[in-house]
Amino acid sequence: MRRQLRGLIFLIILLSVSIVIVALPKIDIDVIGIDFERGDDENLLGLSLGLDLQGGTHLVYTAQTKDGEDPSIDDMDAVRTTIESRINQFGLSEPTVQLLGTPPDRVLIQIPGLTGASISAGFQGNAVTAANLEAYFRSDLGHPEATVAVVTDDDGIELLVVSIDQLQGDRIDAEGTVLEVAESEQIRTKLGDQFPAQLRVLYTGPVPTSTSTDLVTATSTAPVEEATVALIEAEVAGLGRTNFTVEELSERNFAITLPNPVEDGITEDGVLIEGEVTALRKAFAARFGDPLIFALTGQINQYTVGGGVQEAKQLIGQTAQLDFRERTCGPLLDPQDGSEWPPDGLTEFEWASERCSNPSYFSESSLPLTGANLVNAFAGTQPGIARPVVNIEFDGEGGDEFFEVTDRISRTNGLLAIYLDGSELVAPAAQAGISGGRAFIQGPDFTGERARTVAIQLKSGALPLELTLVQERNVDATLGEDTLRKSVIAGLIGLALVLFYMIVYYKASGLVAALALMLYAAITLAVFKIAPVTLTLSGIAALILTIGTAVDANILIAERTKEELRAGRTLFAAISEGFARAWPSIRDSNVATLITSVVLFWFGDRLGTSVMQGFALTLGIGTLVSMFTAFFASRVISRTLGSVTGPSRMKLWVPVGGVGADHDEPSQQAGD
Amino acid sequence: MDVVGRKRYFLSLSLVLVIIGVVFVSIPPRLNLGIDFTSGTSFDLEFADDVATEDLRSALSAVGHDDAIIQKSGDGEFFIRTRDLGQSGIEEIQAEINTSISTEYRVPSVTSVGQSVADDTVRNAVIAVVVAALFVMLYVMYAFRSVPKSYRYAIAAIVALGHDVFIVLGLFSILGQVIDAEVNAIFIVGILTVIGYSVHDTIVIFDRIRENVSIAPNRPFSASVNISINESFARSLSTSITTALTIVALLLFGGETLRDFLIVLLSGVIIGTYSSMFLAAQILVAWEDRDYKKLKFWGRATAN
Repeated sequence: MRRQLRGLIFLIILLSVSIVIVALPKIDIDVIGIDFERGDDENLLGLSLGLDLQGGTHLVYTAQTKDGEDPSIDDMDAVRTTIESRINQFGLSEPTVQLLGTPPDRVLIQIPGLTGASISAGFQGNAVTAANLEAYFRSDLGHPEATVAVVTDDDGIELLVVSIDQLQGDRIDAEGTVLEVAESEQIRTKLGDQFPAQLRVLYTGPVPTSTSTDLVTATSTAPVEEATVALIEAEVAGLGRTNFTVEELSERNFAITLPNPVEDGITEDGVLIEGEVTALRKAFAARFGDPLIFALTGQINQYTVGGGVQEAKQLIGQTAQLDFRERTCGPLLDPQDGSEWPPDGLTEFEWASERCSNPSYFSESSLPLTGANLVNAFAGTQPGIARPVVNIEFDGEGGDEFFEVTDRISRTNGLLAIYLDGSELVAPAAQAGISGGRAFIQGPDFTGERARTVAIQLKSGALPLELTLVQERNVDATLGEDTLRKSVIAGLIGLALVLFYMIVYYKASGLVAALALMLYAAITLAVFKIAPVTLTLSGIAALILTIGTAVDANILIAERTKEELRAGRTLFAAISEGFARAWPSIRDSNVATLITSVVLFWFGDRLGTSVMQGFALTLGIGTLVSMFTAFFASRVISRTLGSVTGPSRMKLWVPVGGVGADHDEPSQQAGD
Repeated sequence: MDVVGRKRYFLSLSLVLVIIGVVFVSIPPRLNLGIDFTSGTSFDLEFADDVATEDLRSALSAVGHDDAIIQKSGDGEFFIRTRDLGQSGIEEIQAEINTSISTEYRVPSVTSVGQSVADDTVRNAVIAVVVAALFVMLYVMYAFRSVPKSYRYAIAAIVALGHDVFIVLGLFSILGQVIDAEVNAIFIVGILTVIGYSVHDTIVIFDRIRENVSIAPNRPFSASVNISINESFARSLSTSITTALTIVALLLFGGETLRDFLIVLLSGVIIGTYSSMFLAAQILVAWEDRDYKKLKFWGRATAN
């Protein structure tokens, strides 16, 4: 009795937890180190749905070879397979990937559900509040749905994260001319205009003369005038800027508003380009002398667009060409060959860092090691490294080559430079040859999301072609909007009919089955939501099958219990014995289904057949839950019900009619 | 009810149905391949005013494109995929839209679109099913190791599975001619579901046989099988009724788009239930009784 009570309490807790998970539109848990977010408030019960049941994003890419030539059909097929596999590894969502054109030169990709986007922006000195930003997005930028949250990133910088439903991509005509740049770019400019940067300049005392030494430090030219609003305006305008204001806050204390100040930058060749603020500092120093305060606040110093579609575009559009190069740095010690060392007038200290990092001082040679040598890639962490890394495993050949190169550079003090799509990720040194074919790569911009994306790209292989996004829009579900609604209603009607049949035909046992089925439905949906499983038509097929098997388990139990009652057992003994006898067939039939689903899933994964994989996943989960409810829930519920109804109501446990008892032996009627 | 005694009728019926299935699947026109498996045409439609997806769907159906995939992508904007149209097909559709939807529109782009399901999907699915069947056979041999000659159970289960699949395929080939039913990606899923149900149901029946054989090892095998079938009858009926109820509800209230798929499931459930009792179990008896040596159910011509 006590064990039964405990079982019953456990079931009630399980049911409640499942119902809460299913009922909550969105689950968002953020405990130390664990960030768990599930559910989409717009969907039915917050479940992830496939393209057949809900709309998504429609992307069209044109493909070209790296030399700008038309792609071959084989390359296009490879692109198709690779993209499908990338999206599937990102979360099994059964995307549509189709080639367009004769011969094919474009790829159509539809991904379910991904319509939202998020922009995280950081303003120097946290000059903008979440409320201000939200108001601006809602009223001026045409995003009334925008919400803004304040988050602190890994480096402790406060960021404002704006969540919006959709961002328009570039609008491009058929020839590839950009008609309108992506909305995210426009928004960045508008934000800079709306929340301009503030340059504070404070001078103390009279203008220092060329003879005065105080405050003059690194300026080569002596200051000529005392700063005034008009003169400062002239200097700023001299940079070619028209949209700015200069205000004198107090004596010799100026505030200059500068929308979207141009920052310092570096060209691809490593040449520094001076930004506006640096240029102003130099100009002011030359004219007015060095200020006591020269501070820029409020400029956007972080601007990343992510979430939903943006993430998917990151994942799809990159060719993900991984290059390994052996880097020979400039000589550490003076080679004593008469040439200048260190070169270009560098100090020895500067040389120590430049010799391996400045492209003009080192040389590189390609290694016969590429992404094709990888057998696995997955995101993870490494001790001592704050940012996430991508772990990689080489095949035998790649592992040998990796050992050779690390062994070589450990002796020559060279580096192993790793490039992804032409940009350097990291260039580590090696202490000794690394055998075993395992390594990891890190990148300066690796976040958890980015590491995962890179890992997926590496694992699914490089794209043989370069892709350019030419169209992006939202589309509806392929089955039509109301199919899901109709099917859900129909499914509920079907379920109600099943429960009705069970209770009418099997009476008490049917009631047990009905309760167990409801528990089954709640747990299955909760697992789907947490996993998360993308529910598509194929998933629904698997669901119908597992509902069938879940009912079957209860029918088997009910029939066996009935037989035991007819054989003259007491109610309680009959319930126990009925279970014991029904269990082998429930177990064997469900294990066979599990084996089928595992094999189908494995093949679906290997061969990139996502339809099969989605079916197999839903079937496997449904079967496991069905076995659990049959083995545990049905037993606990029927024992409880058995003790409530009592032995005097034995008839409640014997089905209507009693078909199937009419074999050779005369059936024994259970007495009241 | 003496089921086993009439096994020759059941076995003959199954054989005939399977042969019909195989014939219909292997002679042209075989199965109607839907747009998932063939390349086709895709085009955009931009209406001056908003148009309901349902109106466009009925316009396309009127010119024979029931299977078109229509996705709305904004007010009055649609992305449509159909079977290969050619110039005349596009004109036909335009003519129909002109009459049935009185809104101005333009067709900004028409292009050919490749199949959405890769060529090798069917082959992959077949390989996967064959491998899964092998593993299930191994498991059945293991699960039934307590009864003599457990490999027979494994083989009989797989024969019943093949029986179910071929009959459903044949039925669908016939339906293809009668109601234009088409084979799309989801059809593969339907067949996988039928396979899952078939194996599940057969094992439940076999489990009963296993139990009855172990209870009375000296009873003739055919008698044990007959008792098992009779004892399982109520359960088989209930299980197939409840599963069929869900499918019929979806068929009646779930909308037109899923019709073909649900027909596959429904026929699979009926045939799968039938084959467990009247084919798989009968094969075990026929094998035990060495009927294949007598081949009596072929008729007298080949006797002995």
